[in-house]
Amino acid sequence: MSTNGRTRIAITGIGLVTPVGNDRESTWQALQEGRPGPGPITTFDASGFTTRIGSEVKGFDFDSVAPRKLLKQASRCHRFALAAAEEAFSEAGIRPESATGERWGVSVGAGMMSISLKELDVVHRHCAPDGSFDATKMASPNYPADPVYFCRTQCNAGLGLLANHFGIRGYSTAVHTACASGGQAIGTALKVMRRGLVDKMLVGGFDSMLNPIGLSSFCLLGALSTDNDEPWRASRPFDVSRNGFVLGEGAGFLVLERWDDAVKRGANIYAELAGDGNSLSCYRITDSPPDGDGPIQAIRQSLASAGLQPEDIDYVNAHGTSTQMNDQSECAALKVVMGDHLPNVSVSSTKGCMGHLIAAAGAVEAAVCALAIRDGIAPVSANFQTADPGSEAVNIVAGKSRPTRIRAAISNSLGFGGSNSCLTFRQP
Amino acid sequence: MSTSPRIAITGSGAVCGAGLNPAAIFDAILEGRSAVAPIAYWDASGWPIQVAAQLTGVKDQVLVDDRKLHKSISRTDLFGIYAGDEAIKSSGLRAFRDGLPEGEIPEFNDRSGLVVGSGGGSYQVNYDFFPLLSSSAGDMVKFGQELASSVHPMWLLRILPNNVLCHVGIRNNFKGTNACITNQCASGALALAEAVASLRIGEADRIIAVGHDAPIEPEAVLGYHHLGLLSADSVRSFDAERTGTIFGEGAAAVALEPLEAAKARQATILGEFLGSGAVSEASGIVHLQPDGDGPARAIALALADAGIAPKDVGMIVAHGNGTPNSDASEAAAILRVFGDNPPPVTAFKWAIGHTLAAAGTLDAVLALEALHRNVVPGIPTLNQVDPEFAALPVSREPREPRSGIALIICRGFGGMNVALVIRRSTDS
Repeated sequence: MSTNGRTRIAITGIGLVTPVGNDRESTWQALQEGRPGPGPITTFDASGFTTRIGSEVKGFDFDSVAPRKLLKQASRCHRFALAAAEEAFSEAGIRPESATGERWGVSVGAGMMSISLKELDVVHRHCAPDGSFDATKMASPNYPADPVYFCRTQCNAGLGLLANHFGIRGYSTAVHTACASGGQAIGTALKVMRRGLVDKMLVGGFDSMLNPIGLSSFCLLGALSTDNDEPWRASRPFDVSRNGFVLGEGAGFLVLERWDDAVKRGANIYAELAGDGNSLSCYRITDSPPDGDGPIQAIRQSLASAGLQPEDIDYVNAHGTSTQMNDQSECAALKVVMGDHLPNVSVSSTKGCMGHLIAAAGAVEAAVCALAIRDGIAPVSANFQTADPGSEAVNIVAGKSRPTRIRAAISNSLGFGGSNSCLTFRQP
Repeated sequence: MSTSPRIAITGSGAVCGAGLNPAAIFDAILEGRSAVAPIAYWDASGWPIQVAAQLTGVKDQVLVDDRKLHKSISRTDLFGIYAGDEAIKSSGLRAFRDGLPEGEIPEFNDRSGLVVGSGGGSYQVNYDFFPLLSSSAGDMVKFGQELASSVHPMWLLRILPNNVLCHVGIRNNFKGTNACITNQCASGALALAEAVASLRIGEADRIIAVGHDAPIEPEAVLGYHHLGLLSADSVRSFDAERTGTIFGEGAAAVALEPLEAAKARQATILGEFLGSGAVSEASGIVHLQPDGDGPARAIALALADAGIAPKDVGMIVAHGNGTPNSDASEAAAILRVFGDNPPPVTAFKWAIGHTLAAAGTLDAVLALEALHRNVVPGIPTLNQVDPEFAALPVSREPREPRSGIALIICRGFGGMNVALVIRRSTDS
């Protein structure tokens, strides 16, 4: 925990593409109003699935976020990433130049290797028309191999596109720890900057599993809410009647700078990225321990990394997926760490509005924490009405958003596989 | 880095087509035995590429004893879990934990980290949807309705890129700081760099760094082939007539801890991790800067991090993937950094293939073996060094390293470059 004398890191740019808004301020406005993102799935016919609702990005201009040549290599979630990163740079008023590109880094939480049904069906039609795969047919001259598609499916394709498009030539990394990815990517960036490897970083996350294969994977696990007739209230973290999460998509990006550099150039500073904590639950692959073991250590480590005490925290942006297991484990962890301070901490899950953005969630929610600090508003935990025994001691922001001074905030991200990430943010 | 602790390597594990532990793999390399053989996983007789460096004749159970686990993981995970377990076993850390008073064990576990470099996913696992695609015949409603009776309910778990992180964690109860890096071929090398960085700032007391991948499947072979990256017969690193790389599969892992702590518990100290450097070339998914800008900067950063000069480096394990562009730009980078005094250079991919995300970790573990045996293995597939970089000191014959320090170079899609520096002994 020896992080004394650490370099302070400023957040000077934010870009968002989410189910409730295609930029930063429209997303933030919707989150404050508690306007819901989920609705019936429109990008394909989901009427045969047990879950037919999702939290889609709406009205997004897929074709103008980057030059056409680059976009050929960009999947749906890569395009969200390019747009959110562009917004973060423009807003920060600084971006990599040929002379400074070596001193810029990039760290992203990247969505899983995403095979679209259309592309999978190409393989199916040519090599497995009867359902069983015959590799010899793939080597036939008639097989329509598409190298551009192949490049797009590489696990670091999004990272490579971002580095290429924005000219980032320093430390570049992509992490994937399922739903903790975005948080861990930002935590990694904090460490990279404290080590002095780069001066500035683009950090964030992007994901879209709202396609037939992605939806299938979560339907099979039974992890999604099946409230198909009431999509707007299907995601209700911490509510006694919650019954699963709502699959979302999107991207969130931040520009990070060394504090002194940001002050010197007169940059607008949203918040300080002050701490990162990170643990592994070692429990079960899809569940978090009911007693909060794992998340507890991540939160404590993050506070220590920021040099703060539980009493310094005014707002928690919870992982709050709206599944029984997550919410129980997370509330248990908050009780243990916050102790007597628990009633004073406003807690909300913005997944009630946005749904679960998977690998992008931690990054988008980091941006929400920075905006909450800027405006002194704890955004509403949408659709929360009745606490259960696990959550009743937790001060959940119910009904409407809550104006309150936020000296410091934490954001939790807890992933399949047991990775737990907690980031700490401070008022400038 | 004078104030940060020195980092010892106290355990290692490795598996690939050439063997089931670092010593056996190194023996094969030294004896000129290549694991490159006809592809065994499918009938590749009509394929443009018919060879790969596979691990054959070893039952899954030999790698991971828990047969129940086999159903929920992929081949790449088998390798990663095996290597991680082996590194922990050989480090003696579990035995050390067993000897601790019971009250100290929770803290030991919370201070034990895992950083994994993962290949990110496979294509084949999506083929589980083929029977469903056949039976639904383009009808999305039917697809949704028949999903649950056609695809395994736990399907998503098999494709998680962070499975090795999750299961090495559960199997060994290592609950501390963690990450799963999905940066294509740079993943394993970056995992080592991040593990060391976390130890230097005291975020954990010990960390296992793993790299794993299993790319030998039809769609990946075809994809690489159409990008012009694969050789039909052998990897001839730095040869004038090199034609490309060949896929391998496997994993490697090391146990890392502060030197003082390793000495205090009387651990066997295999070596010392001195430094790392990582940069991007910002040049797109597969394009490389011909002048070697990326690897040259990564090497310079790694040497600076290690606090050594080019003349101190005793041997170089190059990426040497055998593709015309990568080898040429890598050679240019080595010659630029080392001038007219480069140490012996070798590469291992002729014997073990290109194990993608595992490559950097395997090369590091094998470099350590080379330093211990005081021999730089030759490259038997090298007939004539490319006249474009004739000064590069590569050889068919084994040579002696000129010091106990090795530099390892690792490159990946997206213009990623990582350099690592390790030392045999810990005297300085």
